[in-house]
Amino acid sequence: MKLRFEASVEEFRQEFLHWLADNRPTAEEMAADPAVSSAHCPDWAKRWTKRLFDAGWLVPGWPPERGGRNAGAHETLVYLEEMSRSGVPRTTNPQGLGIIVPSLLDYGTPDQIKRYAMPLLHGEITACLGMSEPDAGSDLANLKTRAVRDGDTFVLNGQKVWTSGANYADFCFLFCRTDPDVPKHKGISIILLPMDTPGVTVRPLNEIVHPQHPDLNEVFLTDVVVPAANLVGKLNDGWAMANGSLAHERGMVWLMSVIDMEMGMQQMLELAPSILEALPEQERAVAADDVVRCYIESHAVRCLGYRGFARLVKGGSAPEQALMKLFASASRQRLARVAAEMRGPDALESKPQRSRRIGTLEDYFGIFGSTISAGSSEIQRNIIAERVLGLPRG
Amino acid sequence: MDLELSDDQQMLRDNIRTVLTGACPPSLVRAVHEGTSDYAELWRQVVDLGWPALGIREEAGGVGLGFVEVALLAEELGRAAAPGPLLATISQFVPVLEEFDCIDLLAEVAEGRRSGSLAVAEGSSWGLHSISTIAEVTADGTRITGRKDAVLAGSQVDSFAVVARDRTSGQLGVYLVERSAATVIPTGVLEPTLGLADVVFDAAPAVVIAAADVEEALERVLQQATTAMTLHIVGACRRVFELTLDYAKIRVQYDRVIGSFQALKHRFADMYLMVEKANALGYFAAVAIAEDDPRRAEASHMAKATAGECQRLLVEDGLQLHGGIGYTWENDLHFWLKRAKAGELLCGSSLHHRSQLAAALGLISEVNV
Ligand SMILES: Cc1cc2nc3c(=O)[nH]c(=O)nc-3n(C[C@H](O)[C@H](O)[C@H](O)COP(=O)(O)OP(=O)(O)OC[C@H]3O[C@@H](n4cnc5c(N)ncnc54)[C@H](O)[C@@H]3O)c2cc1C
Repeated sequence: MKLRFEASVEEFRQEFLHWLADNRPTAEEMAADPAVSSAHCPDWAKRWTKRLFDAGWLVPGWPPERGGRNAGAHETLVYLEEMSRSGVPRTTNPQGLGIIVPSLLDYGTPDQIKRYAMPLLHGEITACLGMSEPDAGSDLANLKTRAVRDGDTFVLNGQKVWTSGANYADFCFLFCRTDPDVPKHKGISIILLPMDTPGVTVRPLNEIVHPQHPDLNEVFLTDVVVPAANLVGKLNDGWAMANGSLAHERGMVWLMSVIDMEMGMQQMLELAPSILEALPEQERAVAADDVVRCYIESHAVRCLGYRGFARLVKGGSAPEQALMKLFASASRQRLARVAAEMRGPDALESKPQRSRRIGTLEDYFGIFGSTISAGSSEIQRNIIAERVLGLPRG
Repeated sequence: MDLELSDDQQMLRDNIRTVLTGACPPSLVRAVHEGTSDYAELWRQVVDLGWPALGIREEAGGVGLGFVEVALLAEELGRAAAPGPLLATISQFVPVLEEFDCIDLLAEVAEGRRSGSLAVAEGSSWGLHSISTIAEVTADGTRITGRKDAVLAGSQVDSFAVVARDRTSGQLGVYLVERSAATVIPTGVLEPTLGLADVVFDAAPAVVIAAADVEEALERVLQQATTAMTLHIVGACRRVFELTLDYAKIRVQYDRVIGSFQALKHRFADMYLMVEKANALGYFAAVAIAEDDPRRAEASHMAKATAGECQRLLVEDGLQLHGGIGYTWENDLHFWLKRAKAGELLCGSSLHHRSQLAAALGLISEVNV
C-alpha cells in the first residue's frame, strides 16, 4: 500500500502534460465547432486525433503503429487521469476508440483492421455500436435483427435502437442473429455495416436534455446487403465477443468516472459556500451534511477504483468492475441531485451544449445515461450477486 | 495510489486470521458474553506472539511495523470479535507512548507486561477543547481528578493515558494512571467483551507523560485510534456479511434458497459494496497515517463516517435477512452486530466526523468540541 506512484510514472505524467500543453486544441477552436454527438468528429477533432496518434498519445499502451508507445498500466492510468482533467476530449467517438477498435484488433481480419480500425485511429472516420433493440435491452441475447447469408453477402433486416452517434457514424459494429435455431446466445454474429449502405435508415431520438442535438437513434435495416467479408470473428461467436468488447468498455472507464466525479465535486465545492450562505441558518447544517456525504463518496469512488485497478494489474478478476460501474454512476447521480436541489430554481437553466455543469437539472438528468446504459445498475447488482458472491440464478 | 495489501501484508493478515480462528473462536466470545470465561488466555497467546509490539519501534523491543499493519490487526480483531485489551493497546496506548517517546513504557508493552488505553472522552465528546479533567501538582506528586467516559477496555487494561488540564496553566497534558488507582465503572452491558468503562479519578496519583503542547500529537493519536476503530468495525461488518451470505445460500423457503430471491440479491450487492467502500477508505486513512500525509486528518474523518454508514446497513440487513434465528441469543450473529454498533459509538460517531469535515471544508463554522 502506498499513496504515490513510482517516480518513473510521475515522469511519464509530466512528459504527457508538456506535450498536451503544446499540442492541445484551443478552447476557441472547440467552442466554434463543438462535437454534438458521440460519433461526430469536427475538423479540429480529426486533426487532434491524428496528432495524438502520430505522437503515440492516442492509446499509450499500444505500439507506435497503433497510436501508442507501449506504455505500462500505471502509465496509462496517469495518462487517462490527465487527459480527463484537461478539458479536452481524448476522442469525440468514445465507443469507437474504446470498444469497437479494440474488438477489431482482437477479432478482425487484417483487411478489416486496415479499412475500419486504422482510419478510426487516424481520426478519419467514426463508428457506432449496434447492440440494443426494442426487445433486447438488458436482455441483449434476445436480439432479432437478422443476417442471412446469400452468396458472398449478408442480407440484413431488423431494427436497432439507442444507437449512440448513428446519425454521424461512418460504420456500425452490428450485432445480429445469424442462426435462429440454436439457443439465443449461440446464434449471434458481429457484422461491419457502412452506414451509407442502401436500406439503412437512421431516425434520431431526441433526448430529455439538449434535444436539439440528439445522440440516440433508431436504425432501421431493410434488405441491406453487405459483403460476407464484413463478418467479424467467427460466425455465431458474437456473444463471446460481446463480453470481450464490454470488457474493453469497462476496462478503464471507471477512471473517467473517478475524474468526472472529482471534477463535479470540485465545482460543487466552488458553488456550495455561496448557496449555503443564502440558506436560512437552520437549513445550512443539513445542506452541508449532504455536501459532505458527496465529498466522502467522491473519495470512496477513487479509493475503490484504484484498488480494483491494483487487483487487475496483479491479474485479478473483472467483477470489481461491476462494483465500480454501480457505485461510480450512483455517486455521480447523487452529487448531481444534491447540487441541483440545493441550488434552487436556478438549476432549471439550460445550456445548448453537451458539457455538463453541476447544479443544473440538465446535469442531473444527463447522468442517468450512466446508470441505464452499458448494463443498468440493477444488472450490475445481479452480476455482483451471482458472479462475485455466488448466489444462485433465478 | 495503491490500496491493495502487499504480499507481506497479505501474509501477515492470513497469519493473524489463522491464529485468531484457533485462539478466538465464537465459543470464546460467547463464554465472555456469558461470563463463564475471560480474555486472559487469549491475551497470553497474543503476547507470546508479540502482537502488542507490532507497531512499537525496534529500539524499544518492538517489531517496528507501520500503521497499515496495525490497522490490519485491528480489522482482524473485529472480524473475530476478540475480547481483551489488545485493540486499545495497539491503537490508543502505543500511539500515545510513541508520540511522546516513552521508551521504557513502550518496552514494557512490547514485553507484554503492560496494556493500556486512552482516557479522553468526556460525556459524548471526543474533542480536546471541552476536557475538564484536572491535573494538579501536589506535594505528593501529580494527581488527576475527573471522569472519563466510554474508555475502551477500561475494565481490562493495566493503565490509562489520561488527557487532563493543568489546574494552574489550563494547558492540556497527558498523564499515566494505573487502573488500580481509579474507580472503574463497567458500562456497555450489551457488549461486555470490549471492556468499556467509565473511569473516575479522585486525586489519583499520576506520572506525567507530557504536560503541555500536546494538542497536535493528540490529534495524530486520535486519528490512529479512529482509523483503527474504523477497520475494526469493517472487520465486524465483513463477518456479519459472510454469515448472512452463507445463511442465504442454505436457508430454503418457497422451495428455493432465499439467496435466489432478487430482492435479497440486490441487498447483498449493496452490502458488499458498502463493506468494500468502508474498507477502502479505512486503508486510505491508514496509509495516509503511515506515510504522515497531510490528508491524514481528513482521511480519518471520512473513514469513520463511512464505517458508520457501513455498520448501519450491515447491522440492519444482517439481522433482518437472518429472520428469527438472528434474533436469538443462541445464534452467534449478535456478537458482531454488537461489536459493529459499539464501534460506531467510540472514537466519535459518524455524525461527529461528518461535522468535522463540514467545518474543514468551510461549509459550516469551526466547531470547537
Ligand atoms: C445514454 C444511452 C446511450 C446508449 N447507447 C447505446 C449504444 O450506443 N448502443 C447500444 O446498443 N445501446 C445503447 N444504449 C442502450 C442501453 O444499453 C440500454 O438502454 C440498456 O441495456 C437497458 O436496456 P433497456 O433500455 O431496454 O431497458 P430494459 O432492459 O427494458 O430495462 C428497464 C428496467 O428494468 C430493469 N431490468 C431489466 N432486466 C432486469 C433484471 N433481470 N433484473 C432486474 N432489473 C432488470 C433495468 O435495470 C431497468 O431499470 C444506450 C442507452 C442510453 C441511456
